[in-house]
Amino acid sequence: MLEILSSPLFGISLSVFAFQAGLFINKKLKNPLANPLVIAMLIIIAVLLLFDIPLDAYEEGSSIIYMFLTPVTAVLALSIYRQRDVLRRAFFPVVLGTLAGALAALSSVVVTCNLLGLDRTILASLLSKSVTTPIAIALTEQFGGLPALTIASTLISGVAGNLLAPVLSKLFGIKDPVAHGVGIGACSHALGTSKALEIGDVQGAMSSISLSFSALWTVLLAPLFF
Amino acid sequence: MASMKYLIQLAIIFGLCLVGDVISLVVPFTLPSSVISMLLILVLLSSGLLKEHSIAESADFMLKNMTFFFIPPVVGILRYSSLVQSIWWQLLVVNLVSLFACFAASSWTVVLVQFVQKKIGGKRHA
Repeated sequence: MLEILSSPLFGISLSVFAFQAGLFINKKLKNPLANPLVIAMLIIIAVLLLFDIPLDAYEEGSSIIYMFLTPVTAVLALSIYRQRDVLRRAFFPVVLGTLAGALAALSSVVVTCNLLGLDRTILASLLSKSVTTPIAIALTEQFGGLPALTIASTLISGVAGNLLAPVLSKLFGIKDPVAHGVGIGACSHALGTSKALEIGDVQGAMSSISLSFSALWTVLLAPLFF
Repeated sequence: MASMKYLIQLAIIFGLCLVGDVISLVVPFTLPSSVISMLLILVLLSSGLLKEHSIAESADFMLKNMTFFFIPPVVGILRYSSLVQSIWWQLLVVNLVSLFACFAASSWTVVLVQFVQKKIGGKRHA
């Protein structure tokens, strides 16, 4: 039985069906908390635990989906390119907005880690958490942190940003689509951007360009905070 | 040949990502290859060396279904469940505080910069 489950086809089809179920439930409930990604994760984890299927078997297939993460991030260039006129007008707001966002993210992580008494290894793992997962992991390794914690944190930031994107703009009184998109991209990388793309073209493009500017700022500034 | 279109588009995108991989190995700073590939595609599109129609359908397929591709790392957290369980509320606090701080700082800065630009632009026109 395990041989069949270890086929990459198992992980891929389980992921597709779980995500379809997530999209369906999300449409029925119309609640931002019923996030398709979170529902898909719960379904997959439930299936693995219920049938005692090792994570390794699932990852035979899921690693193939994971392989697409680099090209998926890269083709964000197309959504930026299509919004080049908006970007040309919003160049300074994007560059300065992501700079402020990176500074706020880095300093707030340092302050809260110190207040909660978390040690330096954990600080090293959390410092880069608002940027896209591959660069966050690269920075964590540079600082001697635990990549696993970084992945967990980029996911919390990403999922929270994805869930809260519509709420955050109301909470902070942001009506401008450029400001909304930059905010989402700066704090919750590609995962938040996938939500921004659903909210609107301008928000999606601003979020995609902001996630790359945030990554650049964070690479440059993170060493100053550690 | 039309049926080959999507595969050719995918091959172009994958090929450019491989070029991004190579560039990330050469440059002296830590920049993930996905960000480099994104900047590379942006430069190629802007300069006209790469046409939008050479990647459009496959790229749109990935963009429209982007959330799906994050399922594997999210499920992979299962592997680190004991570590996450021991400090889960601290992780949540650090992440939420910095999420709010980062969103507020970046979006308000954008509003402020746009306001200043409008003032300067208004004076120039007056």
